[in-house]
Amino acid sequence: MSLQMLINAILLGGLYALMGIGFSLQWGISGIINLSYGAMVVLGSYLSLIIFNMFNIDPFISMFFSGFLLFLLGAFVYKFALQPSIKGGIVFTLIVTFAIRLIVENIILLVWSADYRTIRISYAGSNFQFLGTFVPLTKFLTFLLAGALIYLTYQFMMNTKIGKGIQAVALDKEGALAVGVDDQKMYLINFALGTALAGVTGSLWASIYSFSPHVMDVIIGKVFIIAILGGLGNIWGAAAGGILLGFAETSGATFLGSQWQEAIGLVIMVLILLFRPHGLIGKKFFG
Amino acid sequence: MEQNNKKFNINIVFIIAAIVVFILLPNFVSGYYIRIFTAIFMYATIAQCINLMSGYMGYLPFGHVMFFGIGAYITAILMGRGLPFILAMPLAALSAIVVSIILGFPVLRLRGHYFAIATIGMNGAIMSVAQNATEITGGAMGTTYPIILLPPGQVYNYFYLAFFGLMVITALIMYFIVNSKFGYGIRSIKANEEAANSMGINTTYTKVSAWAISALFTSIAGGLYGYWMSFISPDEVFDLMFVTNSIIMMLIGGAGTILGPIAGAFIIESVSEFAWSGFMEYHLAVLGIATIMIVFFVPGGVIGTITNRIKNRRIALNKKAEVTNG
Repeated sequence: MSLQMLINAILLGGLYALMGIGFSLQWGISGIINLSYGAMVVLGSYLSLIIFNMFNIDPFISMFFSGFLLFLLGAFVYKFALQPSIKGGIVFTLIVTFAIRLIVENIILLVWSADYRTIRISYAGSNFQFLGTFVPLTKFLTFLLAGALIYLTYQFMMNTKIGKGIQAVALDKEGALAVGVDDQKMYLINFALGTALAGVTGSLWASIYSFSPHVMDVIIGKVFIIAILGGLGNIWGAAAGGILLGFAETSGATFLGSQWQEAIGLVIMVLILLFRPHGLIGKKFFG
Repeated sequence: MEQNNKKFNINIVFIIAAIVVFILLPNFVSGYYIRIFTAIFMYATIAQCINLMSGYMGYLPFGHVMFFGIGAYITAILMGRGLPFILAMPLAALSAIVVSIILGFPVLRLRGHYFAIATIGMNGAIMSVAQNATEITGGAMGTTYPIILLPPGQVYNYFYLAFFGLMVITALIMYFIVNSKFGYGIRSIKANEEAANSMGINTTYTKVSAWAISALFTSIAGGLYGYWMSFISPDEVFDLMFVTNSIIMMLIGGAGTILGPIAGAFIIESVSEFAWSGFMEYHLAVLGIATIMIVFFVPGGVIGTITNRIKNRRIALNKKAEVTNG
């Protein structure tokens, strides 16, 4: 494996890590397999596109805006669609999140059609050299921002009152209730936080790749793999899973051909499920 | 007891009457409705298979569409080699059973979320094979079936009858399965797997057999679908939409009942057809909102809600009778 490949894999993995964390938190802590996650990511991309077209502002800045809007959307969806259906179990939440995906997809199709869109930032083509390898500037920025956001999410979970409340609910719901933690509020904040991360990822995705409603399916396939690799609800696990998927895809594309890229990830996921169902890192939740 | 017997007979008469009506129906309605009914029968079959796994056994096979795709593809490949449909179809069903048994032993050890996700992963992997083994499957471009040399109207009537027969046979077999000793084993797994195991039920054998049975009927539906469409591509026959639609149908009709999936297929296909024709541009959103509404307002399913209501009414009537007698 050459150094260039290694760097490509890490840069790709950084974005995957950020993408996987939101999904992993929603699944591991709120207990919802969010099939609308891909739609939320793509919605973030389109929000950045609007801002870029209107004010000529970079996705690297507008990502805060898409994160904020999707936080509100996530809270709304949880409050009015998921909280009432969660007692019906996995079947109900899967169906409801799939229905939300259909609605979001329909809105995107109506407003922007099914064409592929790109955001052309002025410095999109520039790159710099590092130890004899080429590093594209946008990918590097994306990696840095993803790393910073992952660190911030971790700090939020470990060092704020709400974050500790979410952890308490995740570890022992009854115990948390007994000491006065509002469990539904914690689930809601956690779910909305996951959706916000999806929106931010969407903005960063838009700075590198082109996007269309079709990208939803690609993303949902990847976040499943990342969350399973890392163990559910585990921030550093999901980050490691993202980097690992970056490596698996980059090396798979080189050695087997890029058409097998998706199959490799899926086969790894099924094997992990069979032999290490709590993920490679091995621990559920934080710590 | 006598009353029960009488009620049972009335049900049978009703069902036979419905079967006769549907067999004669193609003579009276246009091709458009024939197409819709054929799709309804197909979905009812898949929903019935998912019902056995999820409604009765408690394992949600979210990637179940892989057997649909396997059935469609193997039928297409064998017919491309010159085999007639009547031979290619059973061979495709047989290979779906073999695949379900090979995959079933490892994957059915997983439960809940993990089982659902693992089946999605397997579906994706099998779809990748269909996309990339271009020499055999035709790759991402898809593959065609031999053309049937009959007038189109007649062909569509044959497929209508074939899917109707498949739906009825599937429902009958499911009815006998869930009311047999084997079926009680399946239900006990949903209630409590460890307890079932300790009571002497071979849970591994039961789970794998149930999965093989549902794979069998799903793959037959897949083969028929491919022949009906006469062209298939991997994106189409491995699409998770088939399963999500079927799960919604099962939920709306009533999970864990035999008539539920059939009723659900009728309701959802009608809503979907209405959304297509009335709100072309908004049909996805209409479908999504209708789904959420139905999940909220009839969570027990239509059939479940109706039987519950009848049961409650009978209990109330009995109480009244007791009071007046006593």
